[in-house]
Amino acid sequence: MTWVAFKEKPMKSRRNRRIPLLVFLAAMACVCRTSGQEYPVATKTLKNGMKILVQTDHSIPNVALYTFYRVGSRNERPGTTGLSHFFEHMMFNGAKKYGPGELDKAMESNGGSNNAYTTRNVTVYQDWFPRTALELIFDIESDRIQYLSFDPKKIESERGVVASERRSSVDGQNEGVLDEQLWATAFIAHTYQWPVVGWMSDIEHWTMEDLKHHFEMGYSPSNATMVIAGDVTPEEVFALAEKYLEPIPAHAPPPPVTTTEPAQSGERRLVVRKPAELPLLMIAYHVPQTNNPDFYALNVMRSILFQGESSRMYQRLVDKDQIALDVESESDNAFDPTLLLFLAQPKQGVDPETCEKAIYEEVERLQSSPVSDRELEKAKNFRLAEFYRQVRTINGRANTLGTYEVFFGDYRKFFDATKNYSAVTKEDVQRVAKEYFGAKNRTVATLVPENEEKGKP
Amino acid sequence: MRMGFRGFFGGLLTRWPAGCRRYPASRFALVVGIALATGASAANAQRLQMPAHEKVVLKNGLTVLLLEKHSVPMVSVAGIVKAGGRCDPTGMEGLASTTAGLLRKGTKARMAQQFAGDIDFIGGTFEADAGADYSSFAAEFLSKDTAKGLELVSDALLHPTFPQAEVDKLIAQSVDGVKAAKDSARDVILEYYEGYLYNGKSYGRPTGGDEISLKKIQRDAIVKFYESYYTPGNTILAVAGDFNPGEMKKKIEEIFGAWPAKAAPAAKEEAAGPMKGKKLLLVNKADATQTYFVIGNVGISATDPDRVAIEVVNTVYGSRFTSMLNEALRVESGLTYGATSFFSLQKEPGPFAMYSFTRNETTGKAIDMALEVLKKLHANGITAEQLSSAKSYLKGQFPPMIETSGQLARLIVRYEFLGLDDNEVNQFEQRIDRVTPEMAKQVIAKHFPLENLAFVLVGKSSEIAPMVKKYAEKEDAKEISAPGFWPGTK
Repeated sequence: MTWVAFKEKPMKSRRNRRIPLLVFLAAMACVCRTSGQEYPVATKTLKNGMKILVQTDHSIPNVALYTFYRVGSRNERPGTTGLSHFFEHMMFNGAKKYGPGELDKAMESNGGSNNAYTTRNVTVYQDWFPRTALELIFDIESDRIQYLSFDPKKIESERGVVASERRSSVDGQNEGVLDEQLWATAFIAHTYQWPVVGWMSDIEHWTMEDLKHHFEMGYSPSNATMVIAGDVTPEEVFALAEKYLEPIPAHAPPPPVTTTEPAQSGERRLVVRKPAELPLLMIAYHVPQTNNPDFYALNVMRSILFQGESSRMYQRLVDKDQIALDVESESDNAFDPTLLLFLAQPKQGVDPETCEKAIYEEVERLQSSPVSDRELEKAKNFRLAEFYRQVRTINGRANTLGTYEVFFGDYRKFFDATKNYSAVTKEDVQRVAKEYFGAKNRTVATLVPENEEKGKP
Repeated sequence: MRMGFRGFFGGLLTRWPAGCRRYPASRFALVVGIALATGASAANAQRLQMPAHEKVVLKNGLTVLLLEKHSVPMVSVAGIVKAGGRCDPTGMEGLASTTAGLLRKGTKARMAQQFAGDIDFIGGTFEADAGADYSSFAAEFLSKDTAKGLELVSDALLHPTFPQAEVDKLIAQSVDGVKAAKDSARDVILEYYEGYLYNGKSYGRPTGGDEISLKKIQRDAIVKFYESYYTPGNTILAVAGDFNPGEMKKKIEEIFGAWPAKAAPAAKEEAAGPMKGKKLLLVNKADATQTYFVIGNVGISATDPDRVAIEVVNTVYGSRFTSMLNEALRVESGLTYGATSFFSLQKEPGPFAMYSFTRNETTGKAIDMALEVLKKLHANGITAEQLSSAKSYLKGQFPPMIETSGQLARLIVRYEFLGLDDNEVNQFEQRIDRVTPEMAKQVIAKHFPLENLAFVLVGKSSEIAPMVKKYAEKEDAKEISAPGFWPGTK
C-alpha cells in the first residue's frame, strides 16, 4: 500500500483529482465544535515574549508540537537568498547539550520524530512524540534556541544537502522551474521575488557570518509561537515552558519589511524552454495578504473555480474541451500582498495558449454574472468538510491553531471562520473576481518543451 | 512539509512554496506505511488497541466491516475488490486501474458530471484505483450526509456504465499522465525498478499501464473485467466513523444486499523469487542534473513471519532519519537530501529497495557508499542500543497512524484481504519487544540481499555511464522518452 503511495500518485492524481491542496484553507471553513466536542485552547505568554498554545486531547498517547518563527525568505536580501531555509536545516546540526547528530538520536530513541519547513513568511519546526518524551523535547528545543553551534564542517556538508534538495525539488521538476521564474517576474521590488530554497549561486556562497546574523535577527523567543496538541495538560506544559524556555533572553525582532510591491500595470509574460514531455502553464495574480477581509471571498471563488471535478475549470478544461490533464489553484499564507496562482497541465500537443484562453473565459464568466446558489453552498460545504479533515488529528490542530495565531494574529479567528465564510455573498465573489483577476494584474508563465516535435501528437 | 504543500500535479512534492528538511510528505507516508502494512506497529498496549469492529457477511457474499468512531462527524468508506493489475491481460496493463477510474464516470443513474456534482456538493470524496493485488475505492463524507454518501458509493460500485466517451477521455489522460510523470525522475523510478527486477512479469507490470498498453484497452475489456471481478463475494467493504452500528448495518444491507451474487474467477497468484546475480538498468534522462538510483531484490510478502523483525532492522538500516543509510549519505557526507530503504509489502513477495539521489558527478561515490553501508550491516549487525532505539521509535510513531476513521477503514479492509487480524495492532508492542539481537542477525542474513542485486538509475547517461559499469555483469539501457518502464516493453 505504501509502495503504491510512493509510485503511483503521479499518475493517479491526474486521474482522480484529490481534495485540493491548501491545508490551511481546509482549516478555515471551521466551527469550533465537532459532534458536540470542543477544542479548548489554553494560552500563556512567557516573560521573554514567547507565546504558548495548548490544546489537550487524550485520545492517543501522543503529542504534536509546532514552533513557528516569524522569519522566512521575505526577510532575506540578494546574495543570501535561501538562508532561512538553510538555517532551518542547521537547527538540527548541534547545540551545546545535544551535539551534531545527537538531537535526532535522542528524539528517535525516545519514540519521537521531527521535521521542519520554511516558507516566504515563516520557519516552522515540528516534533511528533509519545507523551513520555515531553520533557526531553523541551530540553532539546531550549538547547538549540539558545546555544546553536555552527560547525564549519557541518555547514559545508549541509550546503550539499540543500543543493541536492534544490536539484530534486526545483531543477528536476518542471513545476519547480516555472514557479520560480514566475515569482521572480511577478515581483520586481518586494522580497517575495526569490525562491525559498535560494538561488544556486547563493547556496554556494553563504558564510558562517550570514548564519549567525540570521540567528540573531530571527530567533528571538518573542518572534516565536509554540503550539502543542495532544496528550498533555496546560499545567505541565506551562511548567516546562517556564523551566526551559522562559530564561532565554528576548531581543529585537527582525526589522520590518518595508518595501511595498508597486501595483502591476500590465500583463507580464515569460517562457521557459527545456527538454520536457509536456508543456505547462501558470498564471499569477497579485492578491492581498492573508489577514485581508477579502480572504474568505477569494477562497470561495477558488472553490467554485477549482475544487472538485464539478468545478468550473475542471469541467471546462479537463472534461469538456479536453485540453488539460489537470487544473489547480494555489496560494500560501502571507504577511504581505502575495500571489494567487492558477495552474494547468496541458495535454500533449495542446498549445498552452489554448488553455490560457479557456481560463480567461471562465474568469470573465465569473466577473460578468453571479454564481448560482448551489455553487455557493457547495463551496461552503467543501470548507466545512475540510475543516473536519484538518481538526481530526492532533497534528492538524497544532498546525491550524498556529497558522491562525501567526497569520491572523489570533488563534480564535479560527472559530469565526464559519461565520466569515457564511457571510460571503454572490456579489462578493463577483467583486473579488473583478478586482483582482484582470489582465493588467497577471503574470503568465509557460514551459515549452524544447524538443518541439515531441510536443505534437 | 509533512503537513501539506503537497505536489500539485504529482503526488509527490513538486511545487516549491516552502523548503523542507526531510523527505516530502508522501515519502514519509511511504516509510511510515511500511510499519502499517507490516502491521508492525502499535503503541502502549494498555492504552492503544484496535477499536472494536464488527464483521458481517451479507447473503450475497459481501464482507462488511463496521467500526464506530465519533471523534468528528464524518464517515469513511474503504473497499477492496480482489482483482488488481495482476489480472490485466498481458499487453493490456492498466486495465484494472482504468476500470476503477471509470466507476464514477457514468452510472445508470448519473452522468459523470452529475456524479461529480453530487459528491462535491456534500463536500465528500470518492476515488478508486488499482494496485497489483487488488482494486480499491474510498469515500468520505459528513455523517449528516450518510444516506447520500452511501448511495453514491453504491452507484459507482454496482451500476457503472462505462460510457465510450469517458473511456476515451480517461485513456487519453492516462497516456499523457505517464508522459508527464516521466518529466520527473523521482515520480517514475520505482516503476522502472519493478519492471526491471521482475522482468516485466508479476509485480513488474505497470499497474497504471504505459504509453502502449493503455492504448490497447477497449471498452469491451473494461466491461468484461468489471463483470468478472466486481462481485459481492469478491469485495470487502469497511465503513468507519460517526454512526450507530445497528442503523448502519441495516442501511448497508438495504443498499448493498441488492447486489446480485456471482462467482468470480480467482485472481492470478504468480509469485516470483529473488533474482540471481547483478544487473543494471540505466534510464537516460538527458537533462538530469541529479541521478536517482534504486538498488535491491525481491523481498518479502505482507504476511511473512519475519515481518516484525525486518521492520525493526530496517528502521535501523534505512527507514528513519538517523538510519545507517541516511547518516552516511546525507548527514555525514552531504551527498544527498535523503537516503532510505523499504520493503513493499504485498500479497506475494514485493520488492526491497534502497533509494537515494545525488548530483551527476557523485553518482558513483553515493552508490559505493550505499553498498558499503549494506556490507557494514552484514559485517557488524546492529548494536543493542540501535535495537532498543528502533523499538522505541516504532512504538512511539504508531498511534497517529490509527488516529482517524479513514486510516482505520483502510487498515481493517487490508488486514481482511491479507488474512491478518487485530493482533497486528494489539500485540504489536509485544512482538516488537520480542525481537532479539539474534533474530536481527538472522533477518539481516536472510532478507537484506548482498550478492544478488538489481540496480536501476535514472540520470544523464553520457555523464554517469562510465561510473556505473562496474556494478553489474549485465547492463541494460533505455531512453526515458521511450514507451514503457522496462527494457522489454513492446
